[in-house]
Amino acid sequence: MSDMTEDTDRLGALRRWALILVPYLWLLGLFLVPFIIVLKISVSDIALAIPPYAPTLDLSQGWQGLRDFLGKLDFENYIFLTQDDLYWKAYLSSLRIAVVATVLTLLVGFPVAHAMARAPEEWRPTLMMLVILPFWTSFLIRVYAWIGILSGEGYLNQFLMALGVIDSPLTILNTPVAVYIGIVYTYLPFMILPIYATLEKMDDSLIEAAEDLGCTRLQSFWLVTLPLARPGIIAGCFLVFIPTLGEFVIPSLLGGSNTLMVGKVLWDEFFQNRDWPVASAVAVILLLLIILPVVLFQRNQERQGEAGK
Amino acid sequence: MTGGAPQVFAPWDDPKAKPLIEFRGVTKRFGDFTAVDAIDLNIYPREFFALLGPSGCGKTTLMRMLAGFETPTEGHILLDGKDLAAVPPNRRAVNMMFQSYALFPHLTVYDNIAFGLKRSDMPKSEIDGRVTEMLKLVQLGPFAKRKPHQISGGQRQRVALARALAKAPKLLLLDEPLAALDKKLRHDTQFELMDIQEKTGTTFVIVTHDQEEAMTVASRIAVMKDGRLLQVSTPPQIYENPNSAYVADFIGDVTIINGTAEPHPDGYAVHWAEGQAPLVVRSPLTLSSGQACHLAIRPEKVDVSKTRPEDDNVVKGEVIDIAYLGNLSTFHVRLPGGQMLKAQKFNTEHSARKEITWGDEIWLSWSDECAVLLDR
Ligand SMILES: Nc1ncnc2c1ncn2[C@@H]1O[C@H](COP(=O)(O)OP(=O)(O)OP(=O)(O)O)[C@@H](O)[C@H]1O
Ligand SMILES: [Mg+2]
Repeated sequence: MSDMTEDTDRLGALRRWALILVPYLWLLGLFLVPFIIVLKISVSDIALAIPPYAPTLDLSQGWQGLRDFLGKLDFENYIFLTQDDLYWKAYLSSLRIAVVATVLTLLVGFPVAHAMARAPEEWRPTLMMLVILPFWTSFLIRVYAWIGILSGEGYLNQFLMALGVIDSPLTILNTPVAVYIGIVYTYLPFMILPIYATLEKMDDSLIEAAEDLGCTRLQSFWLVTLPLARPGIIAGCFLVFIPTLGEFVIPSLLGGSNTLMVGKVLWDEFFQNRDWPVASAVAVILLLLIILPVVLFQRNQERQGEAGK
Repeated sequence: MTGGAPQVFAPWDDPKAKPLIEFRGVTKRFGDFTAVDAIDLNIYPREFFALLGPSGCGKTTLMRMLAGFETPTEGHILLDGKDLAAVPPNRRAVNMMFQSYALFPHLTVYDNIAFGLKRSDMPKSEIDGRVTEMLKLVQLGPFAKRKPHQISGGQRQRVALARALAKAPKLLLLDEPLAALDKKLRHDTQFELMDIQEKTGTTFVIVTHDQEEAMTVASRIAVMKDGRLLQVSTPPQIYENPNSAYVADFIGDVTIINGTAEPHPDGYAVHWAEGQAPLVVRSPLTLSSGQACHLAIRPEKVDVSKTRPEDDNVVKGEVIDIAYLGNLSTFHVRLPGGQMLKAQKFNTEHSARKEITWGDEIWLSWSDECAVLLDR
């Protein structure tokens, strides 16, 4: 009898462990291990070999092999990044583009989410469907389609000239404007959905209460709707900001050579220069750039949560 | 109510009194459903006006029209003689306590209460004092720093009350303000509300499901049904002289006997069962001979005895059930012909309950003033 309960206890404990273990294994296998590999390459030296870097760990040499291996690792790739201004310019430019694009996406996405949340209940699933619909076509095809719209003789210019708004075609393609258009278009659903989720949960009577207590429409929006939508806004901004920072496809297809973004630099280092160590260093710094604000933000949230108690 | 007012407060009987609120033929439809149906009603300054009625009868809708969240489909609402139609909610001197409380979840209890004050032209220096005063009033001082999700349901209700009261509005709308409180706290808060009302001179309109609560706090009660006002009267009036069987049944305990009326000195004789003496009743109504009518009899007006008493109405019946309520007992008695009649008796003697038991034949009696005749 007691054996059996012990067994079930052990089984239960095992099951709990398995539950906790699965996400950790996932993180370990698909995030931490690749990251460590990249980190290792970033402190190696370029070499004409396969793989194109040295040293590689040779375990057959035993303890001495490991010491040799560690001795050859250094940070010269990171130092190199600070010497060529291409890199920090690319980071800065990426950061700027990501921040501006996130703000633009928020400005477009919030009103859409707000309108969706206030639409009659029976329309909402349809509206939601419409927001998600573009995902059914390949991302690449959709970005290519924008070339057709934005180019010199593209639909937009044709349309504007037919209306008589402009005389000669606007140069949009291969400028930052085209990149912003592409990013806002591509990432808009990631902004709309989390904001919509928070706004939809919101009780309408809160707005009425605010107005009852003397708020104008604008004040009640500012004092009630916006603070309550904050978690959705923050989630949406992260979902747009993070992939945009390392975005490669949109700037290379729509931005031409005028747009400097770190994703493109990364690509060039890997595939044009075949300099894996420098490319890895670029990637590690990019990751830190992304992780830092997320960690800071979470810290802040935790502190606020504690203050609430 | 306890203070010895020299004059009776009854502005509704005074043709010169100016109402604070006037409903003139107000109708509200949602699609083809009529939620509020052609209501005419005056509410006077300093009144404590209770709206009573079954769920879905339009009480909240009526309140929301006063607060400005719904516009009447037809008719006008006047506040202080001025049409409210063009005045948006934030400019009305009306505050509402919502049925769902509608507390701002991102603000502390303190900031919830201060919310309306910050939107008003009250100087910043006075706001803190006012909020503290409100917190003290609803006994929530220690909880000022908490968020709404960190306090209990009853405490939330009190925050909502304090928030609505803070701006000292001309008219305060309370939509079931006390429903979530336990009985003791509810009684305390009822008296608190009456006290506040007396101190501030604010006019209150309160929605409640609890008729006892309406009787306790209200200067007048309106009974609503299906969007219409059935009766608007003072609590004693509505209890003693209901104008319909529905109101009589809705307010308090009552037995309704169906019959036909026949004129009789000072009133009518109601024939209610084959081979039984008619029941006599005084009434200001004018009914034709043989007209169908209801007779409403409150259980506490009926005397119970084991021997035949002398009275205007005397019937004999069999005790079917006795509900012992402590201070009194309710007897459910079957009259000849199957009609049930409720009678109440105070348990003044210790053994009172033992005197009469199930299955006993007893006599029920009441005077001709004690029943109410209602036309059908
Ligand atoms: N926005 C609306 N659209 C359609 N019908 C509505 C709307 N608001 C209320 N109603 C209907 O109007 C009627 C009256 O509603 P109301 O909320 O005024 O009832 P109530 O008397 O407050 O009920 P309760 O005691 O349950 O709170 C109900 O039948 C309700 O379904
Ligand atoms: Mg209601």
